[in-house]
Amino acid sequence: MQAPTLVTQAAIVAGRDVLRERRAGEVLWVTVPFAAVALLLIPLAISTDTALLRRIGPGMYWVVVLLFGVLTAVRRTAVETPAQRDAASLSGIDPAASFAGKAAANVVMLLGFEAVVGVVAVVLYDIELTRWPWIVAVVPLAAIGLGLLGTVAAAIAANVGAGAGLIPLLVAPLSVPLLLAATQALDSLRPPNGILAWVMLMVAVDTGLAVAGVLSSRALMDTG
Amino acid sequence: MARFGTTYDKLAVAAVVGAIAFSFATPPEVTQGNPARLFNLHLPMIAVMYVAFGVTFVASIVYLARKALWWDHLAAAAAEVGVLFNGLTLVVGMLWAKPTWGVYWTWSARLILTAVMFFVYLGYLALRRAIADPELRASRSAVYGILSLIQIPVIHFSVVWWRDVHQQATLLRPDEMQIDGVLFAAFLAGLVAFLMIGASLLRRRLAVASLEAEVERVAIAGSGGVAGDAVTPPALERRSPKVAR
Repeated sequence: MQAPTLVTQAAIVAGRDVLRERRAGEVLWVTVPFAAVALLLIPLAISTDTALLRRIGPGMYWVVVLLFGVLTAVRRTAVETPAQRDAASLSGIDPAASFAGKAAANVVMLLGFEAVVGVVAVVLYDIELTRWPWIVAVVPLAAIGLGLLGTVAAAIAANVGAGAGLIPLLVAPLSVPLLLAATQALDSLRPPNGILAWVMLMVAVDTGLAVAGVLSSRALMDTG
Repeated sequence: MARFGTTYDKLAVAAVVGAIAFSFATPPEVTQGNPARLFNLHLPMIAVMYVAFGVTFVASIVYLARKALWWDHLAAAAAEVGVLFNGLTLVVGMLWAKPTWGVYWTWSARLILTAVMFFVYLGYLALRRAIADPELRASRSAVYGILSLIQIPVIHFSVVWWRDVHQQATLLRPDEMQIDGVLFAAFLAGLVAFLMIGASLLRRRLAVASLEAEVERVAIAGSGGVAGDAVTPPALERRSPKVAR
């Protein structure tokens, strides 16, 4: 019997994580409502002025995505026990494929999270969706970056005392380039500014994270 | 080693005092006046911070390649020195900003990103404190130490990407340096002095790290019991005597 390729292994891991999340519904029933509540509370703390909210809406959306999106990486269904890790290792799953699969599952969940929270933000803050094809490009790039970062941070903090509490501290400051690029990109949608430079920055950050994640996956797996 | 270290430390402190004195001896800057002298501390501190975080990055890569714990100690020591100078950079920057901009803090991209970098490396240090096993700690923090460098190019180019209140790059700019000869000499003196004090702190922290490693090794060796210690015998069940009917 032929051993499955890295892509197949990654797909198996991603499928397993998505299935576990589908059964538990942690992102959909806990994280998304939590983020929606945050979007509701912000105007109460700042101002209910519609014009102001329309202006700050995109920025608030990204802050909520960043802070609450991190929670997808620390969800209970993403945590592997040492026994599960050993079982995966004994069944021959390559650490790089395992990382890629977990990251892919996180990205899928973040995309869903961004979509639902995005609708809530558009409705609550009356955000204008001008030049929406660019938004369609920016949102997945942010999801990929956050998903990769969350996966690496979860691997770093796995089976460490205070690990779950540590992950937001590890992810939030490092995701600032993504947050800045995402907010600036949407700001740049107003002519005559160019959006391409910000999209390129996001692509560069995502690529760097993917390479770092794949290269470090064996080191993180060996010490798990 | 200890004696050389002591002499070197004294030299480094003397160099910093000399650099500060030199800074006061230079004429005041044309537009900003005396507060601009703080730049002779601020810019060298930024340079030491960058160098220290660069050392963390390189040492983390070498640790992952060679698995020698000395490189992990170097990465950690450099991160601590970097965090110290990162904090000092922010404080000195705020002291300069008050008379120049009228506020201690403004929402400039470079300021925000420099503060964010402080928290990135605080996270690195928190991660290290959370892991007891030396090798596990070394591997995990090496990966995070490599990822953390993502901030530095973003911080450096932030003044180019966001045109805000923060001035453009003074030294490292593509066209030409925006600094006078005497002021540049004062900056160079500060740079050398702060690099020396940074190296001195790094050496001392490395020495402490090797002592800490020794203490950990002794503690781990001392905590190892004999085989079978982990197994506790089952408690004897106490049965009440049956009463014959």
